[in-house]
Amino acid sequence: MEFKDYYAELGVARGAAADDIKKAYRKLARKYHPDVSKEPDAGKRMAAVNEAYAVLADPEKRAAYDQLGSAPPPGQDFRPPPGWDDGMEFSGREFSGRDAAGFSDFFSEIFGRRSAQGSSFGAGSNDHHARVLLDLEDAYTGAERQLSLRVPKVDGEGRVALETRTLNVKIPAGIREGQVIRLAGQGSAMGGEMQGAKPGDLLLEVAFKPHARFHPQGRDLHMTLPVAPWEAALGAIVPVDLPGGTLKVRIPAGAKPGKQLRIRGKGIPSSPPGDVYFDVRIVVPPAATPKEKELYESLQKEANFDPRKDWGRAP
Amino acid sequence: MTGKEIREAEILQEACLTLEQLCAAAALERDWLIRHVEEGLIPVAGTVVAEWRFTTVHLRRAKRMHEIERTYDAEPELAGLVADMLEELDDLRALLRRHGLA
Repeated sequence: MEFKDYYAELGVARGAAADDIKKAYRKLARKYHPDVSKEPDAGKRMAAVNEAYAVLADPEKRAAYDQLGSAPPPGQDFRPPPGWDDGMEFSGREFSGRDAAGFSDFFSEIFGRRSAQGSSFGAGSNDHHARVLLDLEDAYTGAERQLSLRVPKVDGEGRVALETRTLNVKIPAGIREGQVIRLAGQGSAMGGEMQGAKPGDLLLEVAFKPHARFHPQGRDLHMTLPVAPWEAALGAIVPVDLPGGTLKVRIPAGAKPGKQLRIRGKGIPSSPPGDVYFDVRIVVPPAATPKEKELYESLQKEANFDPRKDWGRAP
Repeated sequence: MTGKEIREAEILQEACLTLEQLCAAAALERDWLIRHVEEGLIPVAGTVVAEWRFTTVHLRRAKRMHEIERTYDAEPELAGLVADMLEELDDLRALLRRHGLA
């Protein structure tokens, strides 16, 4: 088992006062807040900081952790000294079982078995929730996905261990971001097996992996459609590959940059199906070769075009 | 669980989670959620608890508010204000992505 130095994680001394620990935690919680942090591994660091604080902010857990001593020499596995936890009881109200599901094996080994007695696990329901990342294509075709979930589980002696469950799930076509899918009877059976309670449902919130071209919004898809100046000026029919197949999109003559084109019914299949929105973006061709330069020069001579005519003239 | 069996998933309707399901999903206490809905900090249609139905937008908001209150001992109103701003940020980021700017 890998030893976790919770004091180092929060950047405080071993004897730090509770107030200093709280202050250090809040500072780091702000730094690594997943919604605003620019740090590349913010989510991971936040989980580590939460874990450290879950232990050091709780006087019982902190005392027990201090009993463990310090990190073993590099390359050596950590083993708790015998009898280190005699007479200790953890109530563990601060962090829930689901927070703890993201914590390290070190945490679950040292603190898991005691906190099961507290109020944290199984808050009156055995439903379990997780987020599942799908490809946008899955919404068009439906998909089978293998999901791995880390769930806290109580054994016959009331000890909690993190267990990895693998489920094969068939996801129906037409799924949209933010929707919840339910797997009946696949929720956690926290505390339930012992009391003969029924396991709850597994609720999965659907999110799509970011796609380079398509941006789903509800049933609709949004994308940028790059066009050449002559396609915009003269009109054109351009083929566009969508998750549901290739679509021929008609660009009307005189299309302006920023114009939005809508193709009905080609978004995420549903009842009714979503639409696809294209934002027209005009790409300026380079004048790289002598021939291309010549063409630009003749256009400059022939076309009566002033892109700044709206500015008016200086007095 | 062998992982060989295939489970059929069922899509729930848009506003689908009951109070109990939301509490379980976000690891929240029932009283905490009721208090926040009644004070208008988590806006939900319906006048009685049994009528309330939540979406994943509510789920995210409740988790964010709970985390802010816990981390900073924040007043619920302040956590609500932060959640409002984070939601605005989500919308703006989605808008930027749709226009290929992020």
